[in-house]
Formats: sequence, structure tokens, C-alpha cells
Amino acid sequence: METEITEKIHAGSAAPVDRPRFPARVLFILTLLLLLVALAFVIVLSVGMGATKIGVREVLGSLFNWHQSGGADSVILFEIRLPRVLASALVGAALSVAGLLFQGLFRNPMADPYVIGSSGGAALGAGIGLFLLPRFSFLGFSATAAMAFVGSVATMALVYWLARIGGRVPVVTLLLAGFAVSTMLSYSTYFLVVLDDNFGLRTRVLASWLTGVIAVPRWTQLEVTALMIGGGLIFCFPLARRLNTLALGDDYARQVGVQVEKTHLAIILTGSLITAAAVSLGGVISFVGLIVPHMARLVLGPDHVRLLPVTAISGSIFLVLADTLARTMLAPSEVPVGLLTAFIGGPFFLYLLRRTRREYAL
Amino acid sequence: MTALLQFIDVSFSYEGRSVLEDVSFSVEQGESGALIGPNGIGKTTLLRLAAGVLACSHGTISLAGRRLDTLRRGDAARLVALVPQRFEVPFDFTVQQIVEQGRTPYLSLFAGFKRRDRQAVEHALELADVTSLRNRIFNELSGGERQRVKIALGLAQEPRLLLLDEPTQNLDLGRQLELLDCIRALNDEGVTILAAMHDLQLIPGTFSSVLLLEPDREVRKGHPQEILQSHILERAFDCPPRRHPKLVGENQIALEKIL
Repeated sequence: METEITEKIHAGSAAPVDRPRFPARVLFILTLLLLLVALAFVIVLSVGMGATKIGVREVLGSLFNWHQSGGADSVILFEIRLPRVLASALVGAALSVAGLLFQGLFRNPMADPYVIGSSGGAALGAGIGLFLLPRFSFLGFSATAAMAFVGSVATMALVYWLARIGGRVPVVTLLLAGFAVSTMLSYSTYFLVVLDDNFGLRTRVLASWLTGVIAVPRWTQLEVTALMIGGGLIFCFPLARRLNTLALGDDYARQVGVQVEKTHLAIILTGSLITAAAVSLGGVISFVGLIVPHMARLVLGPDHVRLLPVTAISGSIFLVLADTLARTMLAPSEVPVGLLTAFIGGPFFLYLLRRTRREYAL
Repeated sequence: MTALLQFIDVSFSYEGRSVLEDVSFSVEQGESGALIGPNGIGKTTLLRLAAGVLACSHGTISLAGRRLDTLRRGDAARLVALVPQRFEVPFDFTVQQIVEQGRTPYLSLFAGFKRRDRQAVEHALELADVTSLRNRIFNELSGGERQRVKIALGLAQEPRLLLLDEPTQNLDLGRQLELLDCIRALNDEGVTILAAMHDLQLIPGTFSSVLLLEPDREVRKGHPQEILQSHILERAFDCPPRRHPKLVGENQIALEKIL
């Protein structure tokens, strides 16, 4: 009798079940290769664009003969354009991966370093560091970088604590907690800007952090940040597999042996580290961490192990393109790239919010 | 037969409120037990204690002869799997991706899936009869299909004891019967089962024993025919007079005809 029913189950569910799919692994490798090529292409193109146009051939020539160049073009290339383009690639990768981590942590596709205040915390921390300990430096790390990290971790911890209800983080508490905390943080940072103007203390860097402008970094700064972000990304790989398990709920993850609290802490620390590194290069750039992981998920599905490298590279491409547009569209004046991403990301955020509206109820 | 799961004087309290008090019982290897009792008596808590998700305040819980609190979580997860009642997935994972998570206790952080893991996932999909659903998105499945996928997820742990929390809840009669078949088939394969059951009529014919949790009483355990008696249930479930469930009467016969 049992077999009869089993057969019935088979017969009943056989018809529309197996949707034909491109083999997932092939799709993943192809996507990765395609994105790497696209990133290289976008970087070369972006380096050539600006007030002084430099052709692709000259760019490639200079890049591959690093030490032999000495002309005006190569000064522009190596001292201004390339550092800035690489910085935007790093910031894009960092913010996108941080978004992916936070979305996994909160089990919520609306999380993003900007939305939940992690970027704002980093900016305020960095601002305080800039004010209080302007001359501190250790192994190339200034107080600014360390304080950015502290600010980001503290904000994350606060929002995590505020938004969690009984092991779940509903959209509504996450967005409200993130909104309230971000607003307080950005006005606190703005207060520092006012103090800065009044006392004529330091640079105008704080103001640009609030809108998100990728400055031209020194090579040492770029190297240190690249190390921080690179290290963070490597640490993300074991976390990515854990994120898949955590997606099925804390209780389930605990049941199969995941140390849930420690894993959450590791995600918060890693996400905050790379967010802080990104903020120290480009300030508060909104919604990148929201758009990029979402797009990647549409193509590859929700497996975090595969999403991680794809999100990192796509984030780089996205922000290199956005920053190139930001510095060329109204040349000679420059549009803050944070403003551009807000224009693109804001409506996108609202679209996502509308799609997930059934989750509003607590 | 040896006891696979044993509770000795187990108590559990949550935020100062006692949920379970001095509970003792055992589940033998190869058994399929139905855990019943009135709402709020602590059936889910008991299952979570048995899975090691919660730690008891007093008493001893042993699994395959070893104290559960001395086992590492990952090791315990190779012995026992809990199929939860509530299970929400925020992203569009496919059935296969979900069932693969059941291998977590066997994987180190850095190593990927090995042949053994793939075989275990295949076997779990087969046993729960969801192989044909593997590429479907979990959130788009029907209630009955989801329930079977959750069972496959538990089976991927290759547990000796499978704990099910109200597996037939919110399913229509047809899907309930499918699920009972699934439970029987698993038990035939040698998986020991303990399931919290709400619908008492579904118990006879599928489960080999019934464990009844009652307020202020010891756990009563026995063959379904012994426990599912009107006078026992009437008291345990605090039924109004002459309105008690007729379990070993017409309803069961009607159900047996369908089965």
C-alpha cells in the first residue's frame, strides 16, 4: 500500500518540477571570468578618462613599463588617476561584501552598511580620531583608521541589539533602528564639521566624508587599506558557508553545531573592518552594499560561497564606473560619488522595500 | 534493545518559569514514538532539549549512552536531528541547497563537499521522496512538500534519532497520509523517530509507542492501544465530560480504511 502512495507522490509531482537550468557551477565560473575581464577593462578605460584624455594604448604602455615612464601623462596616471581608480575598486568591493555579510547576518535583504549605520559610525569614529589624535600613527595606521573601525563595530553592535526581537530581525525594526542611529551619527559628524570650520582646525575632509567622495589616496594609504580589505575578504570565505547555514535560522544553525554567537561576532567584526577601510578612502557612500549583492543574487541564487567573489568583483566594477561618471559628467567640477549612488540606490531601495512589504508586520 | 535517548529527572525552566519538571523516559533504538500532551505542556521544549539546542536546568539527558552535555555540538548533531515546526528561509534557496546544509556537522570550515556528503544528501532526498523537487525554490513549495524537504534536511545529518515537531500540522488529509508513509518508511530503514503529534488519530498504525506528557504527572509511555484510551486522554487533556475524543472507536476504523 505504501508503494502505491509513493508512486502517487511521484506521479503527482513529476509534471512541472525540474525546471531546466544552466549548470550552476558552469554559470558561476563563467560569470567570474567575465567579471574579471570586465573589471580590467573598466579600470583601463577609467584611468584614461578625465580632463587630460589618455588613450588605451598609452595607458597599457605605461602600466606595463612601470619604471620607464616619466612624462606628464604618466605622473597624472600614477599619482592621480590610478590611485583613485584602485581606491574606488577597493571601496566598491568592500561595501558590497559588507552588504552581503550584513544581509546574511540579519537574514534580511534590506541590510547595507549605509542603511544600518555602519558607514556612519565609521565616519564619526574617523572624524573623532582626526580631531583628538591627529598625529597618532602606528605601523602606518593612523588613529583615524582605528577609530573608524571602532565606530563601525560599535554602531553595528547597537543596531544588532536594537533590531533583534526573539532571534529574528524584522525589516521594520532593522530599518527604524538603522535610520535613527544613522541620523544621530551623521549629525554628530556634521557637528564636527562645524567645529572644524569654527576653529579652523584641519582639512575639509570631514565634509567630503559625509557626502562620499573618493579622494586621491597616497600609495601607502592605498596599500594599507588594500591589506585590510584583502584580509577581511579572505576571512569572509569560511564565514560565507556559515551564512548559508545561518540563513535557515539561528536555532537550526545551533542544532547542527554552528557556534551562532561567535559567528555573528566574527561577521560583525569582519564587516565593520572592511566598512571602516572603505569609509577611510571614500566616506559614506550609500546603497552600494544593497544594489550589488541583490543583482548578484538574481543571477547566481543565494549561495553565499559563490556570491562572495562575484559580489566583490561586481562591486569594484560598479563603483569604478560610478566614480568615473562622478568626476567626468560635470567636469571640471566634480559630483560626489555618494550623491550618484544615492540617486541610483534610493529608488532601488524603495523598490525592494515595496517587494518585501508583506514582512512589515512584527 | 538499548535506550538511544534517555531522560532522567530532567527539569527545564525559562525566565524563572518551570516548563518541564522531573521528566524521565527513554526511547529505544528502532522505536517510533509519538509525543503527545496538552498545548503548552512543553513538547517542543522536550524535543529541543533532546536535540541539545537547549540545556536542561536539572537532570541528565543521554544519547546513545553518552551524556548530551559532554558531547560537542557537532558530534551530537551526527546522532540526533531536529526537524523544527517553524522554518523560515529569507532567500530563494533551492531544495538541494537547503538539504546540503544538513551536512554542516561533517564539514570543516574550509573543506568542501566530499563524495560521502553528496551520497548522504542524495540518500536523504530519496528517503524523504523529494529528489524530483531538488531544483525547485523552497519558498515556492506547498506545505506538504516543504515538510518533506525539512525531513530530508534532518536526514542529511545521518542521525540515529530523528525528532519531528508536529510534522503533520497544517497539512490536508492526503498530505498527512503521505507524511505518515514517509515516517513509516524511515522507521523501516532503521531511523529511530520521536515526533510531537497534535492529531491523535494519526498515531495508530504509524507509531510503535506513545509518550504522554501530563501536568504534574510522570511521563506515561506505552503501546498506542494502551495510551489512546478515553479515560486516560480525558484526564490528560482536561476534556469536558462526554465530549472526549473517540480514539479507539469509529474514527480510527475510518482512518484505517483509508490507510
